[in-house]
Amino acid sequence: MADPPGGVRFLPEGVLVPLSAGESLLSHALRGGIPLLAPCGGESRCGKCRVVVRGETRGGDDPGILSPGEIAAGVRLACRCIPLGGGVVCVTILPETRPARLAAYIDGKDMGADGPFLPLVRCTAAGNPLGVALDLGTSTLAGALVDLSDGAVLSRAFADNPQMACGEDLISRIVFAEETPGGGEILRSRLLAGVEEVAGRLIDASPVRGEIADVVAAGNTVISHVLYGVSPSSIRRPPYRPVLSEYPAAEGKTLGIGGPMAKARWRIFPSLGGFVGGDVVAGLLASGMHRNEEVSLFFDVGTNGEVVLGNRDWRIACSSSAGPAFEGGEVGCGMRAYPGAVESVRIDRRTAVTEYTVIGGGRPCGLCGSGILDLLAELFRTGIVDRAGRFTPTGRAGRRDTERGEAFVVVTAEESATGRDVVFCEADLKSVVRTKAALCAAAESMLAAVGLPRESVARIYVAGGFGNFLDLRSALTIGLFPPFPPSRFVPLGNASLAGAIAALRNRRRWKEGLSLASGTLYHDLSSDPGFMERYQRSLFLPHTDEESYRAALAMEAGR
Amino acid sequence: MTVSPSIPTFPGRILEVTLPAGPGGSPVVVGGQNALPLLPEGDHPHAPAVGMEIRTGPEELPPALAEVIGPFSGNPAALAQKCVSGWGARFLFLSLSGCNPDAGGQGVQDGAAIVREVLAATATPVIVGGCGDEDVDGRLFPAVAEAATRPVFLSYAEEKNYRLVAGAALAYGHGVVSWSPIDINIAKQINLLLADLGFPGERVLIDPLTGGLGYGLEYTYSIVERVRLAGLSGDAMLARPILCHLGDAWKAREASDASEPGWGDSALRGRRWEEATGLACLAAGADLLVCRHPENVKRLSEAAWR
Amino acid sequence: MALTALDIYKLLPKTNCKECGFPTCLAFAMRMAAGKATVDLCPHASGEAKATLGAAASPPLPKVLIGAGEREVVLGDETVLFRHEKTFCHPSAVAISVRDDLPDADFAARIEAIRGLAFERVGQRISVDLVALRCVSGDAGKYARRAGAAFEATGLPLVLLAPAGPLAAAADAVGASRPLLSPPPEDLEAGARLAAARKLPLRVRARGMGGLAPALATAREAGAASLVADPAPECAREAVADATTLRRLAILARNRDLAYPSAFDLGNGFPDPFLAAALLIAKYGSLLVMDTADPADLLPLLTLRQNLFTDPQRPIQVEPGIYPIGAPGESSPVLITTNFSLTYFTVRGDVEAARTPALLLISDCDGMSVLTAWAAGKFTGESIARQLAECGIADRVAHRTLILPGMVARLSGRIEELSKWRVLVGPQESSALPSYLRRLTAAAFAPSRG
Repeated sequence: MADPPGGVRFLPEGVLVPLSAGESLLSHALRGGIPLLAPCGGESRCGKCRVVVRGETRGGDDPGILSPGEIAAGVRLACRCIPLGGGVVCVTILPETRPARLAAYIDGKDMGADGPFLPLVRCTAAGNPLGVALDLGTSTLAGALVDLSDGAVLSRAFADNPQMACGEDLISRIVFAEETPGGGEILRSRLLAGVEEVAGRLIDASPVRGEIADVVAAGNTVISHVLYGVSPSSIRRPPYRPVLSEYPAAEGKTLGIGGPMAKARWRIFPSLGGFVGGDVVAGLLASGMHRNEEVSLFFDVGTNGEVVLGNRDWRIACSSSAGPAFEGGEVGCGMRAYPGAVESVRIDRRTAVTEYTVIGGGRPCGLCGSGILDLLAELFRTGIVDRAGRFTPTGRAGRRDTERGEAFVVVTAEESATGRDVVFCEADLKSVVRTKAALCAAAESMLAAVGLPRESVARIYVAGGFGNFLDLRSALTIGLFPPFPPSRFVPLGNASLAGAIAALRNRRRWKEGLSLASGTLYHDLSSDPGFMERYQRSLFLPHTDEESYRAALAMEAGR
Repeated sequence: MTVSPSIPTFPGRILEVTLPAGPGGSPVVVGGQNALPLLPEGDHPHAPAVGMEIRTGPEELPPALAEVIGPFSGNPAALAQKCVSGWGARFLFLSLSGCNPDAGGQGVQDGAAIVREVLAATATPVIVGGCGDEDVDGRLFPAVAEAATRPVFLSYAEEKNYRLVAGAALAYGHGVVSWSPIDINIAKQINLLLADLGFPGERVLIDPLTGGLGYGLEYTYSIVERVRLAGLSGDAMLARPILCHLGDAWKAREASDASEPGWGDSALRGRRWEEATGLACLAAGADLLVCRHPENVKRLSEAAWR
Repeated sequence: MALTALDIYKLLPKTNCKECGFPTCLAFAMRMAAGKATVDLCPHASGEAKATLGAAASPPLPKVLIGAGEREVVLGDETVLFRHEKTFCHPSAVAISVRDDLPDADFAARIEAIRGLAFERVGQRISVDLVALRCVSGDAGKYARRAGAAFEATGLPLVLLAPAGPLAAAADAVGASRPLLSPPPEDLEAGARLAAARKLPLRVRARGMGGLAPALATAREAGAASLVADPAPECAREAVADATTLRRLAILARNRDLAYPSAFDLGNGFPDPFLAAALLIAKYGSLLVMDTADPADLLPLLTLRQNLFTDPQRPIQVEPGIYPIGAPGESSPVLITTNFSLTYFTVRGDVEAARTPALLLISDCDGMSVLTAWAAGKFTGESIARQLAECGIADRVAHRTLILPGMVARLSGRIEELSKWRVLVGPQESSALPSYLRRLTAAAFAPSRG
């Protein structure tokens, strides 16, 4: 095989950007749509755009900013480092150099050991064989285009799920399918349109042309049913069982897929239960917890909040019905992690004045999950909100009355992008507390179901874009998770997509995914007699068992 | 042959709480134990105490009550004296039900005046209950706290009003009853909230909401047992004396209906209904019982051993 | 101590072969940990697993059966000390006594009174369980005849409180009905031999644990297998202490010499039997013999028993129906919500806070909260329309306006279509009800005609 033309491969995205001579790595990143932090605008003043470089480059090794050790390890400033021709320069973007949570939606970590490259589809005559990995989320569809000749990720893309118009949560969509004439077909055609949109964007962004031969999709059970053309109705009613738990591979055309993925062979991750779908199976696959002897907990903080507990021998999974508060749903000024979202918040105890950071650095227009988490933690820490999630009457600084009741002003109208205050009212507080309570209680219920003490959990994986950016101290302050030491948490980003990519690259991993589903027990929390009680215990800041949280926080402070 | 029974021991001890009396009266002290109720094991420095309820609002009394406390209707101070000196109540629970807009609608100052009258009529410890209307109680508790001529307990503080009730009690040296709707977690939560305000634990009682016999008593029973076990096991926020208010027993049809021939005498049955409710509460771990039938003060005290 | 699901799982083959009928070995282990499955369902379990799990599954307190057929009474077989840990399984049995020396008419009347001690409560029949026949006459023939008559008239199993002679005669007469033989302490050996010969349950009565230990040993040596222990206390206080000791010996110490179901004779001059019975229903009495047949005593006791022996793991529900708040009239607002108790308490509290008299409709949703019930299809336009039509609310108010929880606003169209009631969408949060209700004008609840 001939040397590939010069280019810059950005990791962990895997996106290859063709070389443009004389331009900096930062410019290449911008052209390839790779998010990279550069607060000074590329004027090499701030020293924040650090990347690790492998390959021929010059510049960007300013000794005033980088230490000799860093320079030796390949750290460079992207704004000053220029790739040279004659090969591919690999650029790893360091976690602290990631500006926007946006990236987390399409980025995911695969904790699995790198197996041999074993794609299902081998080279055919016509062009490069390509594969598409899809994460079909309730609100977002994300995808990655993979070169099946070497496993490289060629591009990544995402789009809003057009089914949002048929209901924001899964139940609403089932009801939509049941009660709207032709509702099931509408759901399906919208999903297909969204999937084709993602495929189009993937191909547009790809430096390599070829034919899509293989698709691996990970979605929740309702979406998987809709995609497969099966009614999801049974999922809504006791005993909450799906019609299908496995989806035999099929050609795109037979599923109704048009466009470049019509001729591909489609594989859909199996479901664990009505409310724990293939997206979780794919996420587990990426986490690798099924290969460890030590016990792990896996959280997918999405619209439903799934929790899995287990190790290589056994696993048990549930859906917490936590609600989408950390995706910005159910909160008045909530939004997804797009540019303009407040991503972190600090409140001055004395003046109740807030300091915040905004994704993309512009004017804020709302709060995303990590901002919401921070805000609640700060409101509680500063005594503006009591343990019950109510505003305290003493000193109303920073608050005003709104049509939704008393509210805390996070961003004033003058500073916001919308010209209106970004506020957080008592109903928002309650909604976030309910969401965190459901998540925490679900995890406690998993432990109780198998009779395992909390201390035996060695690792906690947090999947979802939110997981990459949450402040663990804030999470502990409000009791989002059981009181585990922060050092045990591992953020995974979009683990579902990572799992789907892994399955594309290696057919053994796909088989692993299939056996994961049949070896993982689905636990229905609605028939778990202890769940409501644990939920009520958790409906408090940080938790009714506040002693354990205090101990965990003290440990964290002492570190 | 000797038998060594398994007697569990507990690391915790229930906080001792004193309901203060007036000059010449006997305070009620409860708590202090480190063992389960009714059993000859551990320390039980104080026996549970049985008190009586006095309601200021008009109400239709069940037959079993009408004949004994009916004659005192509209005269809380006289009833208070009778409860203490005639029937042996160790404390009084004065419900200012007459201040409820739907039940008489006495003013807040009228309520406060009744509290003063009752405190003057007897030296026994008093717990003052609100009228159940959030707005009125919001004004009533501060007024009562100010008007009371000696320390009382205010009943009750819950998540919605705890700042107001505890604030009023703190300012004038009163105690509070922390209330939760048959839920051990909410019981702990309200006590944590009170602790956050700096309210002293030795002036707090736990009211877990007592369902009447046949109408939710089993839920209360288990919550009282669990609160007590948690307290004895070292959960400081739950290691507090528990007050069970038996008033709901009288809301049961079985406690008053005289039309069922197969149910026996309704007056005896009504009294038994309250008695059985109270006995179950004692078995679960209650430290204070509030009853309405004079005979039950004696009856329940028979089982209030230590 | 009980094994956890993971402890059990570690003993299983971990093959997820599904032959036990459960999807995974872990699922099977969880069912076993909950006491709802036994290891013999697993065809591949090792001998060690069977031995360990079999022993763990046997009840710490033996099960004793009295009577046969429909009115069979089960004593013992409990696994926990506190009902919230799991549940109490077998309610304290209540036996009402009758003397064998009563004149025929009085005897028949007494038996009739005992038979009448049965009540309907919340859809369940609660009644006394046994007749305790006290031998006062000393006449074996008479005692046996009375036993036959008592059993025939009531169909209830018998507790035969009699010395050896009459006991044997009665066992001849009614042995097939499997009565509980209850000889006095001095006739223990004879009674035990009789119990052994006829395979009948035996009550062993002796003072305290010190007395019971040798007495129970004697009964076992004589071949009696199904035993009930009566520690013969002198007062309620001793009775509670003894019953607790027996139960703890079974559950905490797994003692096999003393840990039998307990029996107490609260008649024959026992002080304060009502008080003792109530406390023993709560605290580990398996069988209570009482002299009172007054329904005013027994309805409260049987209700207490019904309460304490329900499974505490059921969600707390309130009865569906119409709940008036304040003193509602025909133009008062009507609100609807589900029968999950926390939902009910919350909504009720908030409506009370509004100081607006109102009627609260509680829907039967298996104790689910509003959104859960909606998601599960239990709180739907159809179910609400049906309730509006059938619960009688139309007779209580002159208007036809319903306030629906804001969380299920989407049901409003369907309700209006099916019921002809107008729907107002209430707030999402119950806590907003006070201000919401105060804002509503009277015109919203004007009488509707037609």
